[in-house]
Amino acid sequence: MSSFAVKPREILSRIAAGVFGGYAFMWGFAMLCVAVGVFAGVDYDEALTFAYLLAFLVYLTAFCWAFAEASLTRVWIVLAGGGALMTGAAWLIAGNLH
Amino acid sequence: MTWLHTWFGLVLGYVLMVAFFFGSLSVFDREIDRWAIPETRFAPQVMPSFDKVLTPIFEKMAPEEEELAAARQRVGGPLPDVMPLMTWSAYTTHRDPVLDMYAEYAITNNPKDPFDHVHGHVTIDPRNGKLLPHDQLKIGSEFFYPLHFSLHLEWMNIGYWIVGFAALVMLAALVSGIVMHRKIFREMFTFRPKKQLRRSVLDLHNLTGVVALPFHFFFALSGLTIFASIYLPLSETMMRPLAERHAIEEAEKSGLAFAPSGVTAPLASVDAMVIEAKRRWADRGMAGEVGFLMVSHVGDANSFVSIYRAGSDRVSRVGQGVHFSGVTGKVIREEPAPSAVSSVNDFLTGLHLQHFKHWLLRWFYVLGGLMGAVCIATGFIFFVEKRKQRHGVEGAKQARWADAMAVTTVTGMLIATASILVANRVLPAELAHKGEWEKAVFWLSWLAALGHAAWRGGAVAQGRISPAWREQCWTVAILASAAVVLNWVTTGDHLLKTISTGFWPVAGFDLALLGAAGLAAFAARALRRRERAAMPSQPAFKILAESPNA
Amino acid sequence: MHETVTTAAALLSSLFGMAWLALAMRVHWAQVRDAEPLTASAALTLRIMGGLALALSWVLCLQASHATMAALVWIMSLAGAALAVAQILAWRPRLLAPAIVWLRPTAPAQKQ
Repeated sequence: MSSFAVKPREILSRIAAGVFGGYAFMWGFAMLCVAVGVFAGVDYDEALTFAYLLAFLVYLTAFCWAFAEASLTRVWIVLAGGGALMTGAAWLIAGNLH
Repeated sequence: MTWLHTWFGLVLGYVLMVAFFFGSLSVFDREIDRWAIPETRFAPQVMPSFDKVLTPIFEKMAPEEEELAAARQRVGGPLPDVMPLMTWSAYTTHRDPVLDMYAEYAITNNPKDPFDHVHGHVTIDPRNGKLLPHDQLKIGSEFFYPLHFSLHLEWMNIGYWIVGFAALVMLAALVSGIVMHRKIFREMFTFRPKKQLRRSVLDLHNLTGVVALPFHFFFALSGLTIFASIYLPLSETMMRPLAERHAIEEAEKSGLAFAPSGVTAPLASVDAMVIEAKRRWADRGMAGEVGFLMVSHVGDANSFVSIYRAGSDRVSRVGQGVHFSGVTGKVIREEPAPSAVSSVNDFLTGLHLQHFKHWLLRWFYVLGGLMGAVCIATGFIFFVEKRKQRHGVEGAKQARWADAMAVTTVTGMLIATASILVANRVLPAELAHKGEWEKAVFWLSWLAALGHAAWRGGAVAQGRISPAWREQCWTVAILASAAVVLNWVTTGDHLLKTISTGFWPVAGFDLALLGAAGLAAFAARALRRRERAAMPSQPAFKILAESPNA
Repeated sequence: MHETVTTAAALLSSLFGMAWLALAMRVHWAQVRDAEPLTASAALTLRIMGGLALALSWVLCLQASHATMAALVWIMSLAGAALAVAQILAWRPRLLAPAIVWLRPTAPAQKQ
């Protein structure tokens, strides 16, 4: 924690990782919830409501973790990378639903 | 985690303060409306006859001018001459003497959004169907209430995003606060007002944070889930094909038409439908009144009428919807009991919006909201006090800046609130755009408070209390008492009268104003004593030695 | 009427529950009973009584209103009660003395 308080650039990067990386992670999570849910036969609205209920808790966890994890690189990889990965997977699943 | 708590808490704390304080006032938004619009000081009414009272009014309604202007911008040109009616709806609760009516009109020439539409909105006196003047601002439900979740920053919904992010920071501050505090249970009841300011402020910060922890957590979380479709617009973006297909399938399954047929048809008696809906609720052992009523595809052969029960005795706002064919008046569908996921969602939404009938719980919410405000304000003061003690220019500058902002968000906000109420009573009712003037008074007085706090903040840099706190406390005390007196003078409804006739919406708000004035005066005197004692800062080492947390 | 009485009883129960839980702590016990030490058994009794009172409050809330509403009333009554107890302890701790009047001064010598 105290290590990153030294360089302003690193602080900004960590804030961006927590705020935007966390948001991307939440977005991917919610997308995936809905896509997998609908794929498994759950009603769309039901799956969406379920995603909404959990999404902000996921964001909260991601956000706090971004400030607790020592390695800033890992934070970026997990949050932004994970978010993109989940969004992509959800996109593929949703595209193949007919 | 400490870094997160301190800096995010400081920066977003200003927003959280607005959310918590005006959220607390919103618990009694309808009552504040009654205070601000004296013509509406009468008992709550149930939904009036649709056929006799509402239909003629709905037929005369038109889209709001501002909405039309915004729609012209979206379309990038003139709007079509005919904007087909989409829906009519009316909403009321057990606290509403007046009735809000809404209409939606389709904008048919927006290629980017086939569902683009604009709204019309009127408020009526349901006893006689008379329209309330449009200029009258409902200070509770149309100003304080939206302020607490949108900051009245309409552009691109930016206000919603700021408040939403502040809610996330609130949750993160609770988590990090628990991690930092550690002695949650051991110090749960600890408040040592006679100790040094920094210590007692921290005690109060922990106390108000911990004791109302479930309240803070669930209000921040449900605030986010209520506006989830704004924060996570999946159905409008990447999931749009799926969402639209689902909506059409759902319409087919339920028999409630997704789109109008294009064939005009008259509307059957809605009053008869209301009677049938109430009969069905009573059969289920939950007799009740109509809370929300909506006609979709108005005037079309596919039109249907949805009638929802007011959830006065439940946490969920409305429910048990019964849908009727608008043409035949026959029931198309009675909604089954909600699924587990929807129940949780309805509960979260309902607990935040609290339209239920439980006065004790409403007051508990005010208490919870104010504890949130105290928690944030004490956080500010702790931040300032900690930096006051530090030697060096940087600490002093930080302290002065943060203190001026704290004054503005704490007492300045109260001044703005009291000012809009005073303006409401002083400005003549016939004044054109009265509501706009009232809003202007609110923002300008808040700005003046900021200017005053910045101007008087020099003392902070020298380690003393800013006199702005005390001076603004006196201002609050004067303005809040003035509002009560002005209410008496302009309407004749003084406290003896409102209490003896039991008109609690106005009596309660007057009493709350007097209570606030008393507290502000008490605080101002206490601050005076502290300033007189004029203890210059104690050396930093002494505080460090005393405080285990430093 | 029935509802008002039950809710009032629930609030009172929450208040006593929080008071007992607070007084089970040495610091707060000392604020009310001065020099008299808090014995381990008294602390345990207070903690159990506190827990029971809070549970009773929950049952009373359930009697007064629909379960979903009762949950909110109960949670908020705990918050209100804890705040009230903390304020009493800060300004007038002696006001809590009646809550533990049934706990006789427990000098260990008397027990033997």
